[in-house]
Amino acid sequence: MTGVLASGGCHIFSGCGFPAPGLQDFNWKPFFTIGSFAFTKPMLLAILAALVVIVFFWAAFRTPKLVPRGMQNLGEIAILAVRDQILRPSLGRRGDSYLPFLVSLFFFIYIMNVMELIPLLQFPVPSRIGFVWPLVFIVYFLYLYLGFKHQGIWGYFRSMIPAGVPWPIYIILVPVELLRFFVFQPFTLGVRLFGNMFAGHLLLTIFTIASWYLLSLSVGLLYAAGSFALAIFVFVLETLVTLLQAFIFTTLTATYIASSVEPAH
Amino acid sequence: MTDHGTGADTPAARARKQAAAQGRAQGLETGWTVFSYLLAGMAAYGGIGWLIGRAVHVPLLFPVGMLVGLGISIGYIIHRFGRQQAMTRPRKGDNR
Repeated sequence: MTGVLASGGCHIFSGCGFPAPGLQDFNWKPFFTIGSFAFTKPMLLAILAALVVIVFFWAAFRTPKLVPRGMQNLGEIAILAVRDQILRPSLGRRGDSYLPFLVSLFFFIYIMNVMELIPLLQFPVPSRIGFVWPLVFIVYFLYLYLGFKHQGIWGYFRSMIPAGVPWPIYIILVPVELLRFFVFQPFTLGVRLFGNMFAGHLLLTIFTIASWYLLSLSVGLLYAAGSFALAIFVFVLETLVTLLQAFIFTTLTATYIASSVEPAH
Repeated sequence: MTDHGTGADTPAARARKQAAAQGRAQGLETGWTVFSYLLAGMAAYGGIGWLIGRAVHVPLLFPVGMLVGLGISIGYIIHRFGRQQAMTRPRKGDNR
């Protein structure tokens, strides 16, 4: 039986090839253009994510009460979660002045990530690497500035290589340390976030499209059910990945700030 | 700002949670630093090997440089993080 459920749709056994998702699913037609500047969906989502964070914390702490209620309660839980799980383990109590930065960073990344799972929005902004690099540069320049401020330029570079290392080893290690610090540390910070969100979105798209494509009144129905189950599984997995990636990015930011403020042990 | 849920937590439980969070942060940093060292070692000495190889017309120096860099990175990782772990590990018979 090769009946096709939706005769107009592209399904298995209808002579239509699988419309495989790819890079084209990450390119959006611009909403409007001003000269060479094109305003696209990821840009709109990034602005939306920033607005969500700003409006949420503004609403939560606009008139703070000693005994928190409603939005303030939620806002405090959010801030304390970042403080106790991300900031304090890396920076201790002395790092509390960086809490506003880390809270903003964490929730901005998390909201951008979680947009992947919200119907109609359904696109993770960090899966376009151009949105990740500015965050990486902000973090990178912050910890570079803090390092120079607290340890001095020479002291900061000196602290990269542990004390007690014989001087010939210094010469061998300098190229490795410089490349690690200036290239690979920021590179891995950005690429990990981008790669995870890119892969997650691609997987979700593959299994969703495959569920539709395999749908037919034949054995294809079984394949479609399997693909749909996998789509649900990836969806659940992505709810964790969106949170985890925001957590990892912010935790590493906190540890980099800590290594700038205090010399390596 | 108040600490939510602190009433139910005993000081020992809070200390345990704090230690777990610290371990998590340290583990993340160590993992990604080690990964960055491996890449940086290969890129640095692979690059040096490539430059020298270009000058003396021996292309083999590029992969040789990468392997040397990988070796240097692994040695340095063992020196730096192995020592760090040995320092934090309790001595034999120390049951604290």
